[in-house]
Amino acid sequence: MENEKRPLRIALTKGRLEKDTVALLEKIGYDCTAVREKGRKLILPVGDSIEVVLAKAADVITYVEHGVCDMGVVGKDTIMEMNGKFFELVDLGFGRCKFALAGKKGDNFYQGYNIKTIATKYPNVSRTFFEKKGMDVDIVKIEGSVELAPLLSLSDAIVDIVETGTTLKENGLEVFEDIAPISARLIVNMVSLKLRQQEIESLIKLIEENL
Amino acid sequence: MKRYDLITPEGTKDLLFEDCAMRRSLEEKLSAIFKSKGYCEIVTPGLEFFDVFNLNSRYFPQESMYKLVDNKGRLLVVRPDSTMPIARVAATRLRDAELPLRLFYRQNVYRNKPVMRGRSDEIHQMGIELIGSDSKRADLEVLSSAIEVLSSLESDNFRFELGDIGFFRELVNKLDTDISTKEEIRSLIEVKNYPALNDLLDSIGDNEITNALKQLPRLFGGEEVLDKAAQLYNDEKINKIISDLRGIYNCLTQLGYNGKITIDLGIVNKLDYYTGVVMKGYLQGYGDAVLSGGRYNKLLAEFGYDVPATGFAVNVDAVAKVMKQSHTYSAPVADVIVYGEDGFVMEAIKYANKLRSDGLIVENSVFASYDETKAYAENKKIKKAVYVGKNISEENI
Repeated sequence: MENEKRPLRIALTKGRLEKDTVALLEKIGYDCTAVREKGRKLILPVGDSIEVVLAKAADVITYVEHGVCDMGVVGKDTIMEMNGKFFELVDLGFGRCKFALAGKKGDNFYQGYNIKTIATKYPNVSRTFFEKKGMDVDIVKIEGSVELAPLLSLSDAIVDIVETGTTLKENGLEVFEDIAPISARLIVNMVSLKLRQQEIESLIKLIEENL
Repeated sequence: MKRYDLITPEGTKDLLFEDCAMRRSLEEKLSAIFKSKGYCEIVTPGLEFFDVFNLNSRYFPQESMYKLVDNKGRLLVVRPDSTMPIARVAATRLRDAELPLRLFYRQNVYRNKPVMRGRSDEIHQMGIELIGSDSKRADLEVLSSAIEVLSSLESDNFRFELGDIGFFRELVNKLDTDISTKEEIRSLIEVKNYPALNDLLDSIGDNEITNALKQLPRLFGGEEVLDKAAQLYNDEKINKIISDLRGIYNCLTQLGYNGKITIDLGIVNKLDYYTGVVMKGYLQGYGDAVLSGGRYNKLLAEFGYDVPATGFAVNVDAVAKVMKQSHTYSAPVADVIVYGEDGFVMEAIKYANKLRSDGLIVENSVFASYDETKAYAENKKIKKAVYVGKNISEENI
């Protein structure tokens, strides 16, 4: 079948993770010219044995889960939000940031008996976090700048990705509590790892040596 | 009011013509294999009591089951798995039957999956259960049947994987830690999350057991995996698990599927009624296992009948998806259409029956004229039309 001979297909999260991954692949010695000069193409060859697919973070997981891509590079944030069935083999170390609970500076979030409202782009991560605390909260899904929600008094706090904390600070917000560290992960389809074990393992070995 | 009368519920689908023909042909192929080995088919109800799937080792996450309530207020589920109902039948109506029992099934299971992920909630499964023997012979029968099923489907592009859940259980039970941490270790091994597994085990301690557990997800491949596993931890029970697995592996390789049978000691499914040898089967072109199973020696005891058992299930829909890439199945098209002129309709029906008795597929024309009949035949690619009137004439379309 066609799959037998097709190159190893890696889905990359477009944007910063894509650049960091390309840098890593180049360090290993792969020719990534096609990716650097991609234009509008979405499937690009890297050397003879690899093909790179560019996708949004959540789609990277979907493609890998279904096995149409063998491997993927995606942030732990998306993995925590989406879950899914795949192997999460390597912590690539780049794209570091964290999930945090944040709100208006000086607020005592846990005070009082009222049900708290949380604004977030990551409803599942938020729900799991508060479930562990045994806390009922109202979750409001926000698509854009989550920081607005507490400022406009839509929510008591936000659950979001925090990198440097500058955006929070400039808007009079602060981190109440860290939830989980985040970094880029190399994920592998469960069947691909078995059917193309040697190819995948030798690539992973190269990646681990060059991190 | 929004009406939902033109679509099917999320996660379900209609199966038409070619797809249906393919499913039936797969069913026939697998049934023939199972029947030839003395397995008898059983059908269990689509609805079962919730309790069947919600006790100790037969735990199903409740959010994954479709539930309803019967007329006495009791909680029912739409069957999420076939092995547990079959264990229930074996422990009740088949309690006095001669062992071992050889049972097979072909029925749907229903699991509530996250929406929009492109996976079906309704899965057509076929499988076998061999109940009443804990012997290596029983293991070999079931394992070799699974391999036979895979090779009958895709002789070149399958992979069969063997493990033993006992290896993980023995190791983890030696750890001095609580159940939820053990579950976390299990789930990290299952998804081969090396970095998080290492961090977690480092926090527990640096000893032979944690080091062995760290290696567990990496233990997949050929027979060399067993050599590595044997060096990880030295213990009577673990040594026996490894040497038994080696014995089974060596027997299975005699079937001649060189390189297609491999080992993964990191198969540690959540569905933890398994107690010993576990298996998974993969086909090139589908991103998840198409066959899975293993030994479950404690499950029937939970229904009050303490006998060992082993078996596997095949996801027929997943197989069909793979087969579609390389095989074409077509729904049958009629060979002939017979049109009867006014006053000769019964003659035409009789004539059509005569043709059918010769083995042809024949449609009776329901059109008012022979011309319409021929136009229809042309569109449907029916090769021959027959006119029945005072005379009978045929023509090729």
